[in-house]
Amino acid sequence: MTRDGTLASLLGALTTAVAVSAILFVVGPASAHKTPVSREQLKSYEDAFMDAVKKGDLLFHGDAATAKTMGVNLSNSGMACAMCHPHAADTHPHTYPKFQAQIGKFSTLRDMVNWCIEKPMQGEQIEADSEAMRDLEAYIYWSNTGSVLTPGKY
Amino acid sequence: MSDLERQRREIAAALQRPGVSPDPNLRLTRRMFFHKSCLFGAATVGQTFAWWPLINTIDVAYAAEESFKFAWISDTHLYPRSVNTRFVEKVVRAAKDVQSMSPPADFLIFGGDIAQLGKPEELELGVELLKEVKIKKVFIPGEHDWYLDMGKKWGQLFGQPNWTFDHKGVRFIGLDTVSRGPDYWTARKMSPEERMDHMAVLDGSVAGPWAGVGRDQLDWMEKILAGWDPSRPIVIFSHNPLYEYYPPWNFWVRDWREVQAVLKPFSNVTNIHGHVHQVLYNEIGNMRSIGMLATSWPWPYAPEGVPKLTKPMIRVDPGDIYDGVGWEKLTMNRDKIETEYVMWGRKEVFVQSAEDSSLSTPEVLRPRIADQLGPYEGSKP
Repeated sequence: MTRDGTLASLLGALTTAVAVSAILFVVGPASAHKTPVSREQLKSYEDAFMDAVKKGDLLFHGDAATAKTMGVNLSNSGMACAMCHPHAADTHPHTYPKFQAQIGKFSTLRDMVNWCIEKPMQGEQIEADSEAMRDLEAYIYWSNTGSVLTPGKY
Repeated sequence: MSDLERQRREIAAALQRPGVSPDPNLRLTRRMFFHKSCLFGAATVGQTFAWWPLINTIDVAYAAEESFKFAWISDTHLYPRSVNTRFVEKVVRAAKDVQSMSPPADFLIFGGDIAQLGKPEELELGVELLKEVKIKKVFIPGEHDWYLDMGKKWGQLFGQPNWTFDHKGVRFIGLDTVSRGPDYWTARKMSPEERMDHMAVLDGSVAGPWAGVGRDQLDWMEKILAGWDPSRPIVIFSHNPLYEYYPPWNFWVRDWREVQAVLKPFSNVTNIHGHVHQVLYNEIGNMRSIGMLATSWPWPYAPEGVPKLTKPMIRVDPGDIYDGVGWEKLTMNRDKIETEYVMWGRKEVFVQSAEDSSLSTPEVLRPRIADQLGPYEGSKP
């Protein structure tokens, strides 16, 4: 390594260090999770989750008002997710991702949710990253809180 | 007798004392079962599944006068045609199947939940579709038929919800297990539609433990069974199972112990029930219980409490509207009842291996959060 090269790498390291310090100084340690979490923060995190769970529960049980508010049409057959999956039973979120026989390929829970919306419920598929999908996913996972992860299981 | 078979018999004997609820510590959990399966290896699993069909054939010691067949259809959950035609198609198919039985069935029992939301048009649609069946028809109600107008329309169409008749040496009893739910609507000022909506959600937390026989109906049962020879066959039709399987989905009647007490003197009792939308078999005291399929859709097995005597039905394909659903042919032979599940599009109704069963993927579930009402309900998830 030449003398110039050493200098260049030293300068590079210095620049990086300055940049990191600047981020810490400007944004503050809270964002970097360097202070203990407060009760208020915990509550707000939990509320964010439980709000999604509650909306997901309503969508999952065919609540028309919630579907309307969120601009989704999950079913045109009078069926709701919960009619085959009471308490989200037999959704088996803990087995995803896996090869899903109905879809014929390696799939995520979101893929299967959309398959159910389209086939048995005759509704309109939703974006994989939409709020409705996140809420449905939140409810299904929350319902299965005690289930043990077995990804890939048939 | 193999070790596994001996263990199963011991556990079954310990669990099946009449009127005694099994101690949870005694339960053979699925985890234990699969643990044992792993220990004993695949051969044992094969053996176990081979052993089960024997108990799906029911021996009745005191015979019916002659052998005969009857048919069961239930849980059609009809919406108006404009909402769902698939459910209609399946009732049409079941009715045609029953009518074309040869030799014909002596009668059809419809086991409840003809309608989805109890609407007059739904109940009338059911009557219209079942006109295809020309043999004698008897009806018992389901909760979906009842809670819009508290059974008014159902009563106009089908009459008394509980009844009894004797046929070829067998006493048949139809029970009403749905109309005695606790009043969850008056204090909350619900409209009839809201009351019905809560009742129509199987995993709802609002309608509570609505399934029950009731003291008055138990007294009626005692009365109509008073002169019956204790060793002669009795067949009881009910919408809900007459034992405790999974109360959170009302897969029970809350007063099943009292039902057992009434039936205690009788040695040949068979309960045939709907509501669970799945293959189910159990023995409690002197009573055998057989669960029937729906025509509408299958329910999954509950996460716990599936009777150990049940040989589970095969995991179905949700992409096929005729899979996991159907109707039943029941044959009362001189000395036994045989159940033939007519699951459309399936030759094998029962699991053939652990992987064929949804029970091979254990799950732990929690009750709903979003429908909990009132100041003391739902304050904590």
